Amino acid sequence: MSNTILLIEDKPGLLDTVQSLLELHNYAVITATNGQEGVDLARIHLPDLVISDIYMPILNGYQLLEQFQQDEQLHKIPVIILSAKTAEDEMNLAYQKGAAGYITKPFLFTSLHEAMKKLLT
Amino acid sequence: MPNFKTVNNNTNAEATSSLLDNTSNLIAIISHEFKTPLTAISSAADLIAAKLHIDNYMDPFYKKNISKITTEIFKLNSILDEILTMSNIISNSIEIKKELTDVHEILQELKAQYFTDRKDARTFKIKVSGTHVKILADKKQLSTIFSNLLNNALKFSNKKMPVAELKYEEHAVIITIEDDGIGIPAADIPHLFQPFYRGSNVDNIEGTGLGLHIVRNFVTANNGEIFVTSEQNQGTTFTLEFPYP
Repeated sequence: MSNTILLIEDKPGLLDTVQSLLELHNYAVITATNGQEGVDLARIHLPDLVISDIYMPILNGYQLLEQFQQDEQLHKIPVIILSAKTAEDEMNLAYQKGAAGYITKPFLFTSLHEAMKKLLT
Repeated sequence: MPNFKTVNNNTNAEATSSLLDNTSNLIAIISHEFKTPLTAISSAADLIAAKLHIDNYMDPFYKKNISKITTEIFKLNSILDEILTMSNIISNSIEIKKELTDVHEILQELKAQYFTDRKDARTFKIKVSGTHVKILADKKQLSTIFSNLLNNALKFSNKKMPVAELKYEEHAVIITIEDDGIGIPAADIPHLFQPFYRGSNVDNIEGTGLGLHIVRNFVTANNGEIFVTSEQNQGTTFTLEFPYP
């Protein structure tokens, strides 16, 4: 059975491409374009892993991590943050808020996939 | 009218500072905004490669040219990072977090990492003499300094592995980074640390001319000194000195 990934990204071009890459690697993919939609979909589908951007409208990636941590069901789901911010402070903040991984943009899909595989085993 | 002049100077200084801050913020925004389309392009290249593999259409021609797209995207990304670092240096908005740092450990970490600009399989040697003493420095900046100098040593040489030598002396640690590459013409040496300045013999070897400018700024910010000696077609040695706390 394939793992279900919730992909949250507000840039439609990138969302579409990463979704296709994940599907080509046999993952079932659910998509959201902001943090709030992501939290709502996570509660319905309980995905195996979440990949999320940070800077998004309505609810950003940090707020999403906070909501996941406070939720009994969601706090066990690993979240990988994908962000163009490379500052150590931003990475540390994401980890403090419960991120399981942090990958800087631009990235190679192999790097993302390696991080995913470690968290899904 | 001395008072007027003072006020005017202060106003000018404030205006200059504000302009630098604004420019730095603008560059930070541009750099961040550029990364989104760069990510979309690199992901699309990844997607095309994955699809070609799955459909058994991948061949050396596609592989070479898709890899070229990805390599250039990551080069452009490095240029953006360098410009952003330099703009932060100019506007004095670089945060420095000094802590007791093991220079040897930083060099070992760099050796274990993948050097993206490498054109061959060489790495570098580390030699150590004397008793380890930690220095008070910003780890990230120290790593940027060595990564820049070692990447240059690899980029401008072809045969031997560059050598990073650490000498723990009485009052300071001396680090030399030596290569047997193309060297730097004597006339270029006084201008080497200026932004965008590139040696007259670099020909088609790629670079922005920002790396050494960033290196010197970070060395100075961490109470260090940097010197260079070089001979054309013989090699270059950068010497850094950081006093103990």
